[in-house]
Amino acid sequence: MTSALLEQDVEATDADRDVRGGTSFWRYAGRKAGGAAFSLVMVVVLGFFAFRILPGDPTRSMTRGRIMSPEQLETLKRQFGLDEPLHTQFWIYLKNLPRLDFGESYVYRRPVSDLIAEHLGATLLLTGVSAAIAIALGLWIGQRAAWRRGSWFDRLNTGSALVLWSVPTFWLGLILLLVFGGMLHWLPTGGLKTAGTTATGIPLVWDVIRHMIMPVVTLVAVTYAQYLLVMRASLLEEMHADYLTTARAKGLREDLVRRRHAVPNALLPTVTLVFLHLGGLIAGAVTVEAIFSWPGLGYLTYAALSGPDLPLLQGTFVVFSSIVILMNLAADLLYRFLDPRVRAA
Amino acid sequence: MRAIRNLVATLSVGALAGALAVAAPATSADAAKSPTIFKVAASSTIDTFNPFISIYLLPTGLNRLVYENLVQYSVKDGSPTEGLATKWETSADAKTWTFTIREGMKWSDGQPITSADPQWTYQQMMTDSDMGTANGSLVSNFAKVEAPDPQTLVITMKEPQASNPGLEIPVVPKHVWEKIGDKVKYANDTNVVGSGPFVLEKFTPSQSVVLKANPNFWQGKPKLDGVTYVIYKNTDASVQALKAGEVDMVGQPTLTVPQFDSLKNADGITTNAGKGRRFVGLSLNPGAKTRDGKKVGDGNPVLQDKAVRQAIRQAINIPELLDKTFQGHGTLATSFIPSVYPQWQWKDESKLAKYDPAAANAKLDAAGYKKGPDGVRLDKSGKPINLRLFVDNSDSVDQSRADFIVPWLKAVGIGVTVKPTDGDTISADTTAGKYDMYFTAWSLGADPDYQLGINTCNALPTKTNGEGSTSMDYWCDPEFDKLYAQQHAELDPAKRQEIVKQMQAIHYDAAPSIDFWYPENLEAYRSDKFKDLTKMPEDGGVLNGQSGYYALLKAQPVGADSKNASDSSGGGMGAGGWVAIAVALLAALGGGAWLARRRGSTADDRE
Repeated sequence: MTSALLEQDVEATDADRDVRGGTSFWRYAGRKAGGAAFSLVMVVVLGFFAFRILPGDPTRSMTRGRIMSPEQLETLKRQFGLDEPLHTQFWIYLKNLPRLDFGESYVYRRPVSDLIAEHLGATLLLTGVSAAIAIALGLWIGQRAAWRRGSWFDRLNTGSALVLWSVPTFWLGLILLLVFGGMLHWLPTGGLKTAGTTATGIPLVWDVIRHMIMPVVTLVAVTYAQYLLVMRASLLEEMHADYLTTARAKGLREDLVRRRHAVPNALLPTVTLVFLHLGGLIAGAVTVEAIFSWPGLGYLTYAALSGPDLPLLQGTFVVFSSIVILMNLAADLLYRFLDPRVRAA
Repeated sequence: MRAIRNLVATLSVGALAGALAVAAPATSADAAKSPTIFKVAASSTIDTFNPFISIYLLPTGLNRLVYENLVQYSVKDGSPTEGLATKWETSADAKTWTFTIREGMKWSDGQPITSADPQWTYQQMMTDSDMGTANGSLVSNFAKVEAPDPQTLVITMKEPQASNPGLEIPVVPKHVWEKIGDKVKYANDTNVVGSGPFVLEKFTPSQSVVLKANPNFWQGKPKLDGVTYVIYKNTDASVQALKAGEVDMVGQPTLTVPQFDSLKNADGITTNAGKGRRFVGLSLNPGAKTRDGKKVGDGNPVLQDKAVRQAIRQAINIPELLDKTFQGHGTLATSFIPSVYPQWQWKDESKLAKYDPAAANAKLDAAGYKKGPDGVRLDKSGKPINLRLFVDNSDSVDQSRADFIVPWLKAVGIGVTVKPTDGDTISADTTAGKYDMYFTAWSLGADPDYQLGINTCNALPTKTNGEGSTSMDYWCDPEFDKLYAQQHAELDPAKRQEIVKQMQAIHYDAAPSIDFWYPENLEAYRSDKFKDLTKMPEDGGVLNGQSGYYALLKAQPVGADSKNASDSSGGGMGAGGWVAIAVALLAALGGGAWLARRRGSTADDRE
């Protein structure tokens, strides 16, 4: 997937070059933003219909095994707006969307936007910290591994990163939970903070940090390989460039040649990929949040599936997709901005 | 560069200091105040705590702790017992129920509890269908509710009703609720005023529910200071939390057999395989039709023959199925009313069919289903019999049950095609009558009226797409319906129980569903920390998901001495402290090394 995205990017930039041998940044940005906007519209439409074709009647699924009269089921249908024809439901959905109003959750009986706002923070905290660590770790190991290609450091690190990357997230999370939670009692087994805690200030921060360790370690473990490999590959491409010979000829230490000359150039393709992966990371948090009962968006989506809570599913779908689209747009723009060759071409 | 260096230095020193500052006093502070809080792990959905709206199991159960009903289920067998009302009388025609409310009771905010509270509560549900979202069907037979004086409540029924109308419905404080503007949208999740043993203090969505003891509860303040429900998204995590002592009870929903077994020999933990109020079975499509006899769906016509349905029951080795797929954690079923309600359960050993493939074969031979060349029987039109069996592919127990049943039915010449799909599809297709067989399960309340009602012809749909159906198995029988009406108005409990048993006998003979067993709820709690938990029913029942509030009513910490002993097992500072220091040290070391490298390299650079 990584290479496919890279190619796509290169093609796009090629196509953008006009006959005069250069395009304005704004025209390029406008085109990219237009594409993103179109994707967003598709997501909004798809978000409505994709979940409507799910089998079953939410009112029945939600009330399975409960004493319910047909009148009560009718009441529920009316409350959910399911008694309206589909096109009317769609129209209501579209009408409210510009105000970020995704309707009211069937299950929680509260506005979907409130629920998303309530859970977004936890997801951003988890994915933000994990992404920062995974990127730092991946890039650092990646460039060292490339520089000493074939060494034990390279083989050990690349190997273990790949193993962790292939490990199922659920399995790794449960193993950590079993060992550090259930057996050693070192770390809490779930949640964002101790349930019912009245702590504030530093004790609360510390409590949250303790709860974050396992989910963050899991998420970092299964994702840092992609940064490592991209960094390693990009740096390998730069390794035999002439300018490095020049740098060495100047008498610079090997370390400085790598850090000052090779790495900045190798970072260019890496940075865009980092952004592309960020969007995916947030979506990937779904599993981790479910294992560690982390009260974030992933957890909310997981819960919404069992309704099925259509408005909530639509809301989280649109939010997740928008994040991915925006990150892709950011990657496109950033690439253009960072690489003087593309800008001047 | 200097700025970054300073930042790293500050951060690492700060992390170390912070960790040390926090790690040390944390445990001493815990020991000092120590209110006794019982923590329950729960992995089910919480929709809302608005008792008029909430339809999910967990919040419904929590509201049982917060709101005392007019009439409560007894801990012994679920029969009606004192709640807000101390006694009740029924008119001879079973149309007027008069309740006497206990004097001197108070809500948790100190306001008196009077008959005006249930009167107002029921009235809301009767006049506003939105307020009846959760429990509207329970007041649908109410003509009017009056409160002639603070201690008396009179409910007048439209039709005679023998089941106690004061059960199940949470009674809310009128003085609080009548001031609320949009009652349907009211979340009711902070500082709730209640009448039960515990009241809801704070709800943090997707994280926890904090309840505190109600000093005004009519049976006296519970010994626990509070109960906290900790939300776990998967039961594996909650089992680890119990082992680590982070929670005190698990089993909501039931643990899996491997999880349960892993806790059996754990120190300080007591497991409980509690008799539940659920039954599981196999539903057969007896020829789904509408109330006026029009065909619904596409069920295989051979199942309309009672002999085929009975033969299927005889061909399935239910005890072995229970043993192999659920490690024997259940009581063999005799009817759709579970054994926790012995007063209602029909159990006529002489009429119960045993596993007997020879008899099943003989029955099918006698009914005229000849075996084809490949051993599969032919239906009346000469086609080989092939029944579809829906299997919920998210449920591993469902799948393993199918693995046993297919060869058993094959042995009597009935072909089966397993159709694995998701629960929502099963729910949709079975409502529409598009099925032959599927695994069914129901939880029953202490009064069987509802479960009997969904087996009457009135529960059948009016439309041919199955819409509006509440029928349990699309089966109905006029004889059964006649008895249903009789028991519905029979005030003498003994006589009513007798009729209800007769109805189950009819259902058993007709075999629209094959009742397998009443599964146990697999649960566990920290017996090194807490004692005197009450099961429901008292004899062999469950702690989680009770239809009453008994589990924690009398629970209390195990003596203070042993509590300290178990607390100190972490070794003075507690594991958290050690981890804190380790992390901080790593941060400091890492930061230091980085600084050193930086400094060295800049020196190189300057040359």
